[in-house]
Amino acid sequence: MNIRIFAAAALVAALSVVAVGVSGASGGSAANTLTVWLQVDAQSGWPEVVAAANAQFKAQNPGWNVDVQYQTWGTHLSKFDATLAGGNSPDVIEMGNTEMTKYMAAGAFQDLAGVSFPNQSTWLAGLAASGRYGGKLYGVPYYAGSRVVTYRTDLFKQVNAKIPTSQNEFIALARKIGTKNSAKSFSPVYIAGTDWYVAMSFVADYGGKIAMTRKGKWVGTLDKPAALAGLAAYKRFFDASSRAQKTTDEAHPQPYDVIAQGNAASTYGAGWFTCCVGDYKSKVAQFVMPSHTKGQPIPGFLGGSDLAVPIGANKTAAAAWISAFTDNASMSVLRAKGNIPNTTSLLGNSVNERAARKSWFVPTSKNWINVENGNVLRTMLSRILTGKSSIKDAASVASDNITFTLNQ
Amino acid sequence: MTSASEVVVRQRAEVVPRAATITRQRRRRLRRIAWNVVGLAVFVVLVFPVFWMISTAFKPDTEINAFSPTWFSSHPTLQHFRDAIARPYFWDVVKNSLIIVGAVVALSMVVAFLAAVALAKYRFTGNKLFVVLVIGILMLPQAGLVIPLYVVLAKYHLTNHLLGLVFTHLVILLPFAVWTLRGFILGIPKELEEAAMVDGSSRLGAFTRILLPLVAPGLVATSVFVFITSWNEYIFANVILTDQQNQTLTVWLSYFYGTSRETDWGGLMAASTLTAIPVVIFFLLVQRKIAFGLTAGAVKA
Amino acid sequence: MTVAAEATAHRSRRRPRLKRIAQASIPYLLILPVILVITAILGYPLYKLATLSFQQYGLAELIQRKGVWIGLDNYSSVLHDEIFWRTLLRTVIFTAANVVLTIGIGTLLAFLLVRVSSLVRVLLTAGLVLVWSMPAVVAVQVWFWMTNFQNGILNHVLTQLHVGDYSQHDWYATTFWKLAMVTLLIVWGAIPFVTITVYAGLAQVPRELVEAAEIDGAGPLRVFRDVTYPILKPIFLILTSLSIIWDFGVFTQPYLLIGSSHVDTSNYLMGVYVFIEGYAHSDFGRGAAISLLMLLMVATMSIFYVRRMVKMGEAAR
Repeated sequence: MNIRIFAAAALVAALSVVAVGVSGASGGSAANTLTVWLQVDAQSGWPEVVAAANAQFKAQNPGWNVDVQYQTWGTHLSKFDATLAGGNSPDVIEMGNTEMTKYMAAGAFQDLAGVSFPNQSTWLAGLAASGRYGGKLYGVPYYAGSRVVTYRTDLFKQVNAKIPTSQNEFIALARKIGTKNSAKSFSPVYIAGTDWYVAMSFVADYGGKIAMTRKGKWVGTLDKPAALAGLAAYKRFFDASSRAQKTTDEAHPQPYDVIAQGNAASTYGAGWFTCCVGDYKSKVAQFVMPSHTKGQPIPGFLGGSDLAVPIGANKTAAAAWISAFTDNASMSVLRAKGNIPNTTSLLGNSVNERAARKSWFVPTSKNWINVENGNVLRTMLSRILTGKSSIKDAASVASDNITFTLNQ
Repeated sequence: MTSASEVVVRQRAEVVPRAATITRQRRRRLRRIAWNVVGLAVFVVLVFPVFWMISTAFKPDTEINAFSPTWFSSHPTLQHFRDAIARPYFWDVVKNSLIIVGAVVALSMVVAFLAAVALAKYRFTGNKLFVVLVIGILMLPQAGLVIPLYVVLAKYHLTNHLLGLVFTHLVILLPFAVWTLRGFILGIPKELEEAAMVDGSSRLGAFTRILLPLVAPGLVATSVFVFITSWNEYIFANVILTDQQNQTLTVWLSYFYGTSRETDWGGLMAASTLTAIPVVIFFLLVQRKIAFGLTAGAVKA
Repeated sequence: MTVAAEATAHRSRRRPRLKRIAQASIPYLLILPVILVITAILGYPLYKLATLSFQQYGLAELIQRKGVWIGLDNYSSVLHDEIFWRTLLRTVIFTAANVVLTIGIGTLLAFLLVRVSSLVRVLLTAGLVLVWSMPAVVAVQVWFWMTNFQNGILNHVLTQLHVGDYSQHDWYATTFWKLAMVTLLIVWGAIPFVTITVYAGLAQVPRELVEAAEIDGAGPLRVFRDVTYPILKPIFLILTSLSIIWDFGVFTQPYLLIGSSHVDTSNYLMGVYVFIEGYAHSDFGRGAAISLLMLLMVATMSIFYVRRMVKMGEAAR
């Protein structure tokens, strides 16, 4: 090993840098490229809608190219932050509806007032609310998913069940199923203890709210009578029908796994759960979760996405692409794939869509995400269900916490 | 004093040690077998999670979510592997990872070795300061550096470009490599070094000719670490590379569990198994360098 | 002096200054590439990290590229936060446990590698590399699967071995057990590096020196003390200092294994704390302040080992 070999190694190293610099994909972009960040759900779920929108946009705007970069839910926000700091953020970005407020408040998006989007007058109220802040329009509703009850038809037939039309009917049905299937780990209705999306649906059902603004300040309202009634109804429902761990969340385990393992007769969750119930795929069906009022659906949490235009982007081009992507043709395809379209004009009568007619949303405060990250609601539910606190005390603590966090 | 008795004593002296040698050899062999058993037991416990990952990769979905876990699949399937490879940009991503890691390992080993030699073997002002700087950079929590680093790369137009990630990995790994190689060089006994100085060649020439073979095991261990860290690095790769065809394997893996729907566990395990293969190949290629006896003959030279 | 030697000495006297300058500049040239790369890429981020810590810098400020100077407010708010101190204590204990286990078990395994036959050795090292090569996120998923209370293999095995009835046992019920599982995972992932590095260090021990000592009548313990340990000493110092640094700031394993919905102030570790308080809340100024405080803490924890390493370089020359 002498100095010559060493020099050769160094030369190879230098050449490798050059090779990497020359190869590797394009760092620079064409003169007119529209960069779009969509979540990977579009890539696997409805790529043809994306392709059609791209083609339409390119036809209407010659000389433009579209670069769709698919992102994942866990990391797209930190990537977005980096691009905002670096000055090369995308022209269009898909945001979760609960993610919008923080960024709208920070001035990350351009005001889309003055642009006319397809079906703008009939946008789904729950989704549209998430795209508005300070009287301005920042987000165009994209699509949503609602929550429904997925159940095993064979177990329901075993007790000659009728689809329940009120919570009391559902509780009675759950008790019947429980007597027939009395294993310790079997849940007639599997609901994770700290599934606050379900619990808050019960709260909304009784007219309660998580928080409200009063004179420009946020006030937590979980300790008000309406919310307390909802929480009590949730506890009653949980005790009667779910053997889930009282402290676990709705992803550990996944409710569809619980059904697949034969440990649940039904669950209240996303509409796409039917994909993954293993051997019971042919034996499941869905119905709308009922309210405590007979014949009404419970207000559901509408999980969905909006499309926004970050600052620094070409607003006209971006808005044109969004219009192409959210027109009737695109929405029909999305609906056919089991999603809820962004407009009531296309809402049909599937279980998914019927459940979406009544919905509630989280407080539109830029600090709401901190409440979620601080697991305030989960802690409250955990204490209520395990009996560590009374409903009133736990709700009071949570309410104070929420008031403090939202006003920071 | 030669006598028959002496001859007999001498002969007996030759016979007795041989018997003792045989028992010593047998004892050594038994001890080796005992150690081998311990080694195999350690192997089984250590590798179990990896085995679980690979075993799951071959199980069909119904078995993966079953209530009672099974050791081996009763209906093994290659479907997950096929699905993983069929995912968009798989081969692009493999190529990107290989290029990046190759460049990072080559560059960092050369550059770090030179710096380590300087720090360990030369006396110069700023030596100690530089060493402290190197370890100081190692102590920085990486989370805080992500966004400012992205801003720097954006200024150089290196975002969404493999070269940007190569430089980032170099910056993360050079301090580690310098710190570790310096330690290995410092550990070389002085006698072996001094033997090299005798023939009057330049100091640097002596260092590279003598030091390199001596420190080869350390170089290999460090290069394996650099390889694996760069291969598995996620945070910076994810932020810097936004176009899917420019991404690395680790980022590509995150798409398996980043959807809003169910996680494809079988696919994730199959993809992870595929991701591990180049690392093992690299290691098997270099592992022979970590061997005893490499330093034998250095003193004589 | 021979004629040839006299001639050489004469030649070096004739161009002494040039040669001396060339000789003296060699070390600087050797470290130049590292300095260049680090300054070019890390210079601005380091400067930014320091200055951000004195600013109010949230998402809005990030977008406007302008922060508000607030002096030491970030630091004072963090240092007055009870959660910061509790997390710090918890992390120090956690780090100590992890480092001791990692270095201890890793070294024992390295000695095991020496004693087994070459086939088992290749098998073990390949196994170690397989473990080492698992990305942290995948390892967490596999680990969680193996230990989850519903259908985890760990409960299954323990029950089958009649160690007790572990069916449906929740290994993450208490804070201690949550962190214990995280420790197991981290130590498992960190052992390969320690083992392979120590083994490489052992390989650097020249056989002649060992044999020379044995011929002089030294037993295995004395051989270790006089021949092996001096060579391994810098390696142990490096491994310990690196382990302290990494285990103190670890983020991926605790955050993912405990789960983002179960991570709260009762089980924060510093790596998770800085992420949530600083970056998840988009309070980048606070995050920078916490990062620099973490740097200070880590430096304090590892100063003993680092100083030894730095001094070692001077003694060797």
